[in-house]
Amino acid sequence: MTDYVKPLPEIGEVNRRFWEATREGRLELQRCTDCGHLRFPINDICPECLSRAHTWQPLSGDGEVFSYVVFHQVYNKAFVDDVPYNVALIQLDEGPRMFSNIVGTPNEQVSVGDRVRVVFDPVTDTVTLPRFELVKR
Amino acid sequence: MTAPFLRNAAAIVGVGASPQGKLPGSTAESLAVDAFVAALADSGLDKNDIDGLLTFPGTTAPEGALNYLRLGETLGIDPAYTGSMSMGGGTAGALVQLAAMAVATGLATNVACVFGDAAKTGGSRFSRASGWGDSWGLYGMAGAAANSAIAASRHMAVYGTKSEHLAEVAVACRRHASLNPAAVMRTPITIDDHQNSRPIVEPLRLLDCCLITDGGVCVIVSSAERARDAKQPPVLIAGMGQAYTTRNLEREDWWYVPHQKDALDRAWAMAGLGPEDVQVAQLYDNFSISVLLWLEHAGFCKPGESGPFVEGGRIQLGGELPVNTAGGNLSESYMEGWLHVVEGVRQIRGQCGERQVADAEVCLVTGRGMTLNCSNALVLTRGDR
Repeated sequence: MTDYVKPLPEIGEVNRRFWEATREGRLELQRCTDCGHLRFPINDICPECLSRAHTWQPLSGDGEVFSYVVFHQVYNKAFVDDVPYNVALIQLDEGPRMFSNIVGTPNEQVSVGDRVRVVFDPVTDTVTLPRFELVKR
Repeated sequence: MTAPFLRNAAAIVGVGASPQGKLPGSTAESLAVDAFVAALADSGLDKNDIDGLLTFPGTTAPEGALNYLRLGETLGIDPAYTGSMSMGGGTAGALVQLAAMAVATGLATNVACVFGDAAKTGGSRFSRASGWGDSWGLYGMAGAAANSAIAASRHMAVYGTKSEHLAEVAVACRRHASLNPAAVMRTPITIDDHQNSRPIVEPLRLLDCCLITDGGVCVIVSSAERARDAKQPPVLIAGMGQAYTTRNLEREDWWYVPHQKDALDRAWAMAGLGPEDVQVAQLYDNFSISVLLWLEHAGFCKPGESGPFVEGGRIQLGGELPVNTAGGNLSESYMEGWLHVVEGVRQIRGQCGERQVADAEVCLVTGRGMTLNCSNALVLTRGDR
């Protein structure tokens, strides 16, 4: 796993809990304890009420494909062996949206609106990326 | 009720561009200078008449945000008003609006807005991660096409828009470029050519994407009063508006670029005009989908109906609403929307030769930049002598 050359998160005080959680198999995001807003991307401050107070809320990991694209062009050389690869904008059931990848299904068989569930992909000893697989109906 | 303060307060009195394309040996600065000299000649003004200098550093100016200092020194201008701004494709319109505010308030008399970029020979790939921080690049969400592909994919899923609708935009831009001697890509294309072009970020194909080019553009803004006696027929800025969203993923409708409608509504309101008054439009086209979204936000068609709207050549010359009559970013040159302003001015002046829209009295010009964040609109009209 040490030969992973793709971008990795810069783990610091603000986002450490997120990456600890994914390593333990949980998707957790910040909920503002003043206004209740569940936010993403991870940030130091609530973009609704500017409060710094928050808790980390475990999510179901369920959602749906909100939009979906397939990269053929290589913009970052680290992905050269991956093309064509997909990127999905995931609408999480609890509200936030996040970018990720759909795994376990051929690119051409994924559609906007498909139900998905998070899976955890350990790419290095310290970083586990949340990706998503289609939920068979 | 009195008219809005800025309605018809400012005018565009000079436009100019350097050659466009792959220009080895050129630099961002040399191209900006070429454009400035061309616009000055077009305006009939003397260099010493220019007391405002607003610039966009583009992707290859090494001085970046200090571009205004370097360009001012090179051009030998000690301006009353100056600065640089970087909003990608949103910059041209934002700077022209800033110039209009400067001349309307008396901060400056003649403001040159200048852009130069050696993006082609400089190797700009427009390939950075599409958004800030960890939430995008980790998953391979990189490059300028990615966000537009997200918009196109969702538009297709929600409204049934087809790749062939995107092709109509590419075909229209190319046909118009074929009538523009200064355009970079002039060989006409068909819907089939578009469909057979290689995928870049699906659902976008190569012919959905703008070019990468070297070039410079300059637009000179003065008061409407001065424009009456200027060398060129007066082109008034009847209305202008801007709107932004910085919230990206926090907004469910971010992909639909809803702020474009806010920018347009502000511009229509200032001008006292609407889509029914427009004969020709220059709509920002970093990717083909962008034109469809502008058509909806501007009110030329209803939300979701831009695909069918562009069928059958409706946005080509001779159609109901000719769009990007010089070829746009897709086929004329990727000047990040600056040439859209130039073409809008030339259409109102009646200087477009084979691609002139008859009786063009109102032209809409739009711009948008960054991660679908920055949008603006200009309503240009023909002024009286």
